[in-house]
Amino acid sequence: MAPLVFMKEIRKVYPEGTVALRGASFELLEGEVHALLGENGAGKTTLMKILYGELRPTSGEIYFRGERVSFRSPQEAMRRGIAMVHQSFALVPTFTVLENLYLAISSVRKVSQGEVRSRAAELGKELGIEVPLNARVEQLPAGMRQRAEILKALLLEAKVIILDEPTSLLTPFEAEALIALIRRLRAKGVSFVYVTHKLREVKEVADRVTVLRKGLNVGTLQARETSEAEMAKLMVGAAVERAKRRPPREVGEVVLEVEGLVARDEMGVERLRGVSFSVRAGEIVGIAGVQGSGQRELAEAIAGLRRPERGSIRVRGVEIAGKPPREARRLGVLYVPELREEGLALEMNIVENSILARQRGHARGPLVDWGSAEERARGLVERFKVVFGSLWDRAAALSGGNQQRLMVGRELSSRGALLIAHEPTQGLDVTSAEMVREEILRLRDEGMAVLLISSDLDEVLELSDRVIVLFEGRSVGELRGEEASIEKVGRLMGGAA
Amino acid sequence: MVEAELWAFIAVSSVAYMTPILLVTIGEIIAERSGVVNIGVEGILLASAFAAVAAAFFSGSAALGVASGALAGALIGALFGLFAVYLRADQIIAGLAINLSSYGFTVLGLIALWGHHGASPRVEAELPYFSLGQGSVPLLSLLALLIAAVAWLLLFRTRAGLALRACGEEPSAAYAMGVNVRLYRMAAVVLGGALAGLGGSFLALELAGSFTRGMSAGMGFIALANVAFSGWNPLPAILGAYVFGFLSAAADALQQEVGYAYLLKTLPYLGTLAAAALLGRRSIRPPQRLGVPF
Ligand SMILES: Nc1ncnc2c1ncn2[C@@H]1O[C@H](COP(=O)(O)OP(=O)(O)O)[C@@H](O)[C@H]1O
Ligand SMILES: [Mg+2]
Repeated sequence: MAPLVFMKEIRKVYPEGTVALRGASFELLEGEVHALLGENGAGKTTLMKILYGELRPTSGEIYFRGERVSFRSPQEAMRRGIAMVHQSFALVPTFTVLENLYLAISSVRKVSQGEVRSRAAELGKELGIEVPLNARVEQLPAGMRQRAEILKALLLEAKVIILDEPTSLLTPFEAEALIALIRRLRAKGVSFVYVTHKLREVKEVADRVTVLRKGLNVGTLQARETSEAEMAKLMVGAAVERAKRRPPREVGEVVLEVEGLVARDEMGVERLRGVSFSVRAGEIVGIAGVQGSGQRELAEAIAGLRRPERGSIRVRGVEIAGKPPREARRLGVLYVPELREEGLALEMNIVENSILARQRGHARGPLVDWGSAEERARGLVERFKVVFGSLWDRAAALSGGNQQRLMVGRELSSRGALLIAHEPTQGLDVTSAEMVREEILRLRDEGMAVLLISSDLDEVLELSDRVIVLFEGRSVGELRGEEASIEKVGRLMGGAA
Repeated sequence: MVEAELWAFIAVSSVAYMTPILLVTIGEIIAERSGVVNIGVEGILLASAFAAVAAAFFSGSAALGVASGALAGALIGALFGLFAVYLRADQIIAGLAINLSSYGFTVLGLIALWGHHGASPRVEAELPYFSLGQGSVPLLSLLALLIAAVAWLLLFRTRAGLALRACGEEPSAAYAMGVNVRLYRMAAVVLGGALAGLGGSFLALELAGSFTRGMSAGMGFIALANVAFSGWNPLPAILGAYVFGFLSAAADALQQEVGYAYLLKTLPYLGTLAAAALLGRRSIRPPQRLGVPF
């Protein structure tokens, strides 16, 4: 029997000249979950966008159920039953969930908004992926947006669902729920391409795995018969080691002191309901919690980007609650935001982004000293292994992982007293995530106070000297690093006392 | 002096004066909702006024004049769309090009057709209207109000409107969901051009009765301000256009009474801009990807 999908020797050269795929082949069988594994920039997203008709290959052939196809738009792929859930979601942020679902489905077949509503509610209930249909997408947390996307694919009656790094924004519980959902759908005959760089997930979810390296497939394995080590070796070409938590050298005075902090989100919902804690120089305090427990509001309030309702935030003894971000910067607060588009000016080039908010250090009178700025950028991209075409390319032209490395690198290589790292390894492959973690540990050892907010529970437990668990805007537990286990923290995250 | 009767007359004739602005505004709202800003509407207004007068003059038919004006608007809209949508040119520069060349071509046209560079002869072809109280309302003005309502329905109550707005909010997401973004944007600027062309026809055939050089006189730009004032919604746009229409009608009526003709003629412009600036709802956001080529 012919495979459901067969992509043969696909090459893709982007208009700017980046060779993303150099003759990669990929095969998907009916009813299987096929993992597509590879480092950042390996070309996974590009390959799948080609299958989805969003990009056209430079050369190569695609067969669907044995028949040669060439999709000129996502619409044509959708008609054949191929759906894609993008890494950075493809939803119109100012529309409601329902409007998005309706728009997508009605472009494939005739349907009324009412029908979409009732079918979505029905499917959502059946599969346990309920999404508030009338909420505007921009007001939903990432996990919820993803569920909306999956719901969209299911409403399209997709036979093939491509999931691009689906767990990168999910909590462990949400990720488990997703994997359970995939199993249920596979039993109903849906085939999946599961794009990821996380080895653990491959063994958990996939039947087979194809490893992509630098635009070429370097092997296809039975997931059950392979090991993480074997896959890692194929993927990177060498074995990798996980960073181990190590006790802090010396804990100094209090750098950050948060007291009774109350803050609301854009919709006016109270997200932080009286949180108090402190972070000392030379220690890492990790914040764990289900997404939407107030993490974003906490980070933004400290960075000066959100005016809290009540409470105080003191950095090195100075009250900064409600003050502009300039004040926080002046006191030495470094900030890695959750969203890349907040930490980078995507339309500006790499050099400009490297000196963002640090222009003073690269000025000659009123003029920018582009020489020293370029030098800084060059140092940054080398140290943090940012893969790029030219330093004068727009940041938007970088892949997600490279944007993340650029943004994190800029903050981690600056001088400061307090680092707020919100999802610092989001979208990064194993190797670069480890590098970032190692850098965070190094900064701590040099005496920086670190507030680590992450939905990757492993990461929080690995790095933190103390763990604070947020639940519905309140701190429901504080554990020392040694005593924090997945089980204990997980139970607190679910709201158990 | 100024009496209640006069004000009633002004209030009714405002409806005629507001018509070109309203039509241009609705067309521009549709274009901008799809993500394309066309400042060339000023030029379209002028060029379509010329086309309408020329057609009506030589055929003797007002209906043919109106149709030619709308068609000219649609064609210029299509030309703009070719550059701004398909060739991804800068939208402001493409619009500017239309404004400048429309002025030049209409002056050339005046000389070529009538051997005069200031104004065309009067056109006797009359548009249908019916009387209302102290004044009369052209049929086309009522049609403009109807078009506003239909445009609102189209934008906010139909699947096509949803897709069109998605193109202006997040074109890449719209594309991934199967919307032909460029086609929608093209259709929006062509429709926008046709409506502006209808406005130009009305301006020349109904309000002026002839073509004079530069007769659009910044009305297209006032319409652009009205787009923002309306919050990109055709219904509030009626209010903005009415303010302009009312002040124009008042200026016209009063200049016979009080003089200061030139000063009075600035009143509609200043008044409308002031209203747009003061009353515009700040909570309304423009389409997120307005002006960005896809
Ligand atoms: N839109 C784009 N324009 C130019 N280059 C791109 C674009 N998207 C991705 N690339 C480049 O193509 C390569 C593969 O990227 P991608 O497919 O996103 O990799 P992955 O999904 O495996 O991380 C990278 O070098 C990236 O910089
Ligand atoms: Mg990717």
